[in-house]
Amino acid sequence: MNSTQVFDEELTPIKSIASLMMLIILIFSVFPTIIADVAIAQDLNEEPGNSPEDIWSLAYINQIHPWGGDDRAQFKAYHSYFSLKERMMELTEDTNNRVGFDIIEFHEGMNGGVNKRGQETTIDTYEGWFYNHASPWVKITGGGEELQGIEGGECNLFVGDCGNYEDIPDVQMVGNFHAREWMSFEVPMMFLELIAHYYGTAGIDNDGDGLIDEDPFGDMDGDGFLDDDRDCLNLEPSLQDSNGDGDLCGPGDLGVDEDFSEQWITDIVNTREIYLIPMLNTDGLRYDMEEYCGPTAWENCPTSGWRKNLRDNTVTGITPIPDIDEEVDEGCDGVDLNRNFQFEWGAPLGATGPLVPGACYAGQNNDVYNGPVDDTDNDGDGQFNEDHVDGNDDDADGLVDEDWWGGNSEPETKFIQDLTEMNDDNGDGGSDFAVTLSWHSFSELVLYPWGHCTNCQTDDHLELIYHGDQLGEMTSYDNIQSSDLYPTTGDYCDWQYGAHDAYCYTMEIGTAFHQQPEDINSIAVENIGVPFYIAEIADDPRERARIGLEEADKSQWIVSPENLTVPDEGNVPITMCVDPIFPWTSNETYSHVMWRMVKPSRAQSNFGASEWIEEPWKMTGFNETGLNCTLNNGQEGTLISANLPVPEDKSGKLHYKSMLGTRSGTYPFAYPAPMGTYFVIDIPYRAPFGSAMLSFMLFAVVAGAVWGGLGKCLHLILSGEKDEIEWNKEKSTGG
Amino acid sequence: MGQSDEFSGRLGLIFATIGAAIGTGNIWRFPRMVGANGGGSFLIPWLIFLFLWSIPLVIAEFALGKRSRAGTVGTFRIFTGKNYAWMGLWTAWISTAIGFYYAIVAGWCMKYFTMGATGGLAKGTDFIGEWNNFLGSAGQVILFQFLIVLISVAAIWKGAKAIEKTNVWMMSSLFVLLFLVLFLSLWMDMKDGRLDGFTFMFTVDPEYLKDPKTWINGLSQSAWSCSAGMGMAITYAVYMRKDEDTVLNAATMGLANNSISIIAGLAVLSAIFAVSTDPLSVVTGGSSAITFLALPEVFAEAPGGKTGAMIMVTMFFLALTFAALTSMISTIEMCVRNFVDHGFSRDKAVGATAIAIFILGIPSAVIAIKVDSASGVMYPEFLEVQDHIWGYGLMFSGLFIAFTIWKYGWKIWKEKVAAGEADESLRGYMEHGMPAFRDDFINTGDNDLWVGSWWDKIMYFGFPIMFSVLILSYFSDLIFSFDPWYSAFNPVDPKGAGIIFAFWGVVGVTFFFFNKKLTSYPLYRNVPEGADVDISTLPGANDEMIFVLGEDSTDKIFDAEIIE
Repeated sequence: MNSTQVFDEELTPIKSIASLMMLIILIFSVFPTIIADVAIAQDLNEEPGNSPEDIWSLAYINQIHPWGGDDRAQFKAYHSYFSLKERMMELTEDTNNRVGFDIIEFHEGMNGGVNKRGQETTIDTYEGWFYNHASPWVKITGGGEELQGIEGGECNLFVGDCGNYEDIPDVQMVGNFHAREWMSFEVPMMFLELIAHYYGTAGIDNDGDGLIDEDPFGDMDGDGFLDDDRDCLNLEPSLQDSNGDGDLCGPGDLGVDEDFSEQWITDIVNTREIYLIPMLNTDGLRYDMEEYCGPTAWENCPTSGWRKNLRDNTVTGITPIPDIDEEVDEGCDGVDLNRNFQFEWGAPLGATGPLVPGACYAGQNNDVYNGPVDDTDNDGDGQFNEDHVDGNDDDADGLVDEDWWGGNSEPETKFIQDLTEMNDDNGDGGSDFAVTLSWHSFSELVLYPWGHCTNCQTDDHLELIYHGDQLGEMTSYDNIQSSDLYPTTGDYCDWQYGAHDAYCYTMEIGTAFHQQPEDINSIAVENIGVPFYIAEIADDPRERARIGLEEADKSQWIVSPENLTVPDEGNVPITMCVDPIFPWTSNETYSHVMWRMVKPSRAQSNFGASEWIEEPWKMTGFNETGLNCTLNNGQEGTLISANLPVPEDKSGKLHYKSMLGTRSGTYPFAYPAPMGTYFVIDIPYRAPFGSAMLSFMLFAVVAGAVWGGLGKCLHLILSGEKDEIEWNKEKSTGG
Repeated sequence: MGQSDEFSGRLGLIFATIGAAIGTGNIWRFPRMVGANGGGSFLIPWLIFLFLWSIPLVIAEFALGKRSRAGTVGTFRIFTGKNYAWMGLWTAWISTAIGFYYAIVAGWCMKYFTMGATGGLAKGTDFIGEWNNFLGSAGQVILFQFLIVLISVAAIWKGAKAIEKTNVWMMSSLFVLLFLVLFLSLWMDMKDGRLDGFTFMFTVDPEYLKDPKTWINGLSQSAWSCSAGMGMAITYAVYMRKDEDTVLNAATMGLANNSISIIAGLAVLSAIFAVSTDPLSVVTGGSSAITFLALPEVFAEAPGGKTGAMIMVTMFFLALTFAALTSMISTIEMCVRNFVDHGFSRDKAVGATAIAIFILGIPSAVIAIKVDSASGVMYPEFLEVQDHIWGYGLMFSGLFIAFTIWKYGWKIWKEKVAAGEADESLRGYMEHGMPAFRDDFINTGDNDLWVGSWWDKIMYFGFPIMFSVLILSYFSDLIFSFDPWYSAFNPVDPKGAGIIFAFWGVVGVTFFFFNKKLTSYPLYRNVPEGADVDISTLPGANDEMIFVLGEDSTDKIFDAEIIE
């Protein structure tokens, strides 16, 4: 074998090259290792810890809102009149483009025409005396089930808005009655930013903790903590007060009410017409920000500043004769807009005036001047101011409040009054707003009517307290009757409640008129649940309060996945236990189970729940079962059931939730609460897997082909075995 | 230099090739695919593609190996030409790269066998906990990986006869074990009077038959589970006796493979359908982990109480271990064969391959063992990334084999045209080129079964179509599962398409440029006495560095020089 040895020598260098090549390839194959290592390192970092960085995204920790924009849009600086208006227009356009149809409509003032009292008004009627701006505002609605937004419904020529639907409840929210109360236009702007950014989205992880919609506004689980997901509460105590207000894990702190349901926001916008007026007092605000206190007002006048509008009281007190010097006389000019509403106007509590024309009452109470006395015979009966606005027929002529003696003299209050009275979608002659909200500063309070009298109560006293308590819980503000702070006559809420039977709340935001800019964001966040709550109850706040007072809605339950048995065949019954006092309607449009079957695909498991939105919800109505059940409060309830026609031959996840409407048409109560959440249960494949006969037939075919074929092959092989034995012998001797 | 090596008998070869073909894919992938693709609806494409893809390809592999009498590199060098030896290297590399982590997976099976046998998988066990404990302790995983490599090496060290013995023994045990498991499973499923698993597995849902996905899955299952294209058949054909029948062997191998799939599928599905309340989500939901989580849980409910359950789970995992081991053996042998062909001693080649497979498998055992946050189940991400990268490389190995056949046909036709025996037209090519490989290497007279022109049609037309559909559907699914789609091309995303192309590209290009060096080595063919191994008509015929093992090489070189 010499030759072989020769070759072995020659092969050596080649062998080593070969080994080298193999080695290179093998090392190369370890490359993904490095990638995977990095991934491991990241995973370790994501283990739960108790510093904010361990839990939330950096953007959330630094309160960088996902909608971008400048410092003003990010609530790090105050809006001016101009930037606010510009931002409102920008959000209107961008949102409508994103959504694909118009849900927001931007306005300034109103067109005018003949108003409810027969007065002629024009666009100019609603423009401020001094700078001549009309208040900027937006109308927001998704337009109900048809989702036609602003593009559907009726158009109102007087107001100038479209998207007026008879069956959609309206809600009015007004900020910045008082110029110096700057937070009172920042909160409504944040409300608008949220709607603009989140409408039509779903399943967004707002705080970057990997969970979705886990901490909605308020104390949803009723455990006494707003922080429903307890991410703030699990922090070191030193980290629990991120806004520095001394309240650990309170409203406005990081991790508190931070991950609301986007579906809930979408539902609210779809089922309401929201009239949002962030900055009513444009004259006063400009004067406060540009002249009186200046743009850094928090330094020179944190708890002072310009309050009223800029009516010229100096010369005549009668519009529109202009001021001779055309300047604001600070000791004299202006009307307190929140004393200028007509209900019980001029009562001697908490307001100043009326002033004698031409004179100026320059005392300390000038700041609450309620405007001039009315000088017209409003009903033309020859008598003068004989029936004051108080809900009574003072002159016993069969007409109520027809000849008032003052109030509603200012462009801003006229705007609110006409917007309220002329927005009459159902044509019943009354205001469509069942609930209204006004923002003020400061003192961290929720105020409900009355304001004009002390030791008095409204007919809805308990109901008003009920909703006020909910708002107080969200904000940690005290909920008191307005007059218990101090009596006020001619204020917005007394008028809305007294003259139009609309529930009304005044939010006294924050701790200063001009808050430090670094506090804008946390104070706005602290208050952001309020307008959503108000919008939610706008269908029938009275009934909601009564149901809430009885806690009927809370004691009712929908069957949870743990208690739900999916039957082996047929429909899946989703049961609800309802309180006999709860006025639920069996009308399927209002009361139903919403459900959908989803099968997670690879994409869905990779990208999370936002993909579910592709699958539309189906609706199934409820039937009485005649059975009783035990409510959450231990009382006896009535069991109702919706039989979902879930296909037997599908497996996957069933999402379900219910909407329970009331007979008076209150927008459905959602179960499980809050609106926008739903239960998930696995649904197995329930249909028969096939027929035994047919399966045996296929088995025969497959097994026949495979096993029969194999048998045939083996037979052929074994029949040739004789040759092989000979072969083997030959081989074994030779080999 | 060693002697030529061969299997002792026909059954030896059959058992070895069946052992190579039957792997864990038959036992755990097949039931999962049946579950995910509508039960009986899946069996139809699966069976059709056995005859359209797997068996024809194995026939080709046997024919190639039987004539070349060399491993994958040598076979391509001889059959496709000197410039194409890198294709053989690719084929070998894909199988070897899969082998790195396959040893780990085989180790898991073995571990579960030992756990079953020692009562560690009894009813009430925290199966997820046990799995996480095991996967999380690198030492354990590596220990069992080492045992698998050790057993495989012991089996192949002594060559074909030893491989044959191991395979005969393990495969026979596998059949028996699986039948026993099947028996117990059917018993379990019959308890409620209905054979739900059986009914499901053999009921056609027309909806699924209309879905192209079912057909693509059927094709890929058939392609993978039969090991067609992996080069195993080429390797074992080297040890064929001179008059072995390629066609019958290929058919036997394919049919045996599918037979085992049916048995395993029926056993697994019956057990799951007997026990689980939502069997479909069990079979469709999991990844490979279903085997180690769902099945022990299901088998723990076996009749006969604790003992019955223990026997069932032990038998199942022993069968699985055997299936994995025999495939592991073929992988190592394929690698070894290539080294031996190029003049390495068998001992050195076996040692080096075993060490490389062991060491390069370790990363899959220790790196990126992660916990799935939804289920709390651990999974080896690095291993999965490896699988993701190399899995579909197999399809290219198959394509190279088809290419070889096309190339031969073309050459023969051109020669005949030159000699005036054939028309230079499409018709001429179809008459003289297409059947050339079949006439010359398959229907050689050793065959019990005659292969008709259907085989040509599959190789020339069916194969490129099936290949394109598989590759295109796989990559388009993969790419469009990314948002935006082009982010799938990010080469550092371990789940993307970019990483696959990057690795394929680098390996392919490296091999391509290594080709010249590779073919400068002498190649020694393993030729049994008296076998017809004439390669003079082949593209690699004029390669003077190809020798027959045991022949006097110097003489040949001398002769070659004279001729020149």
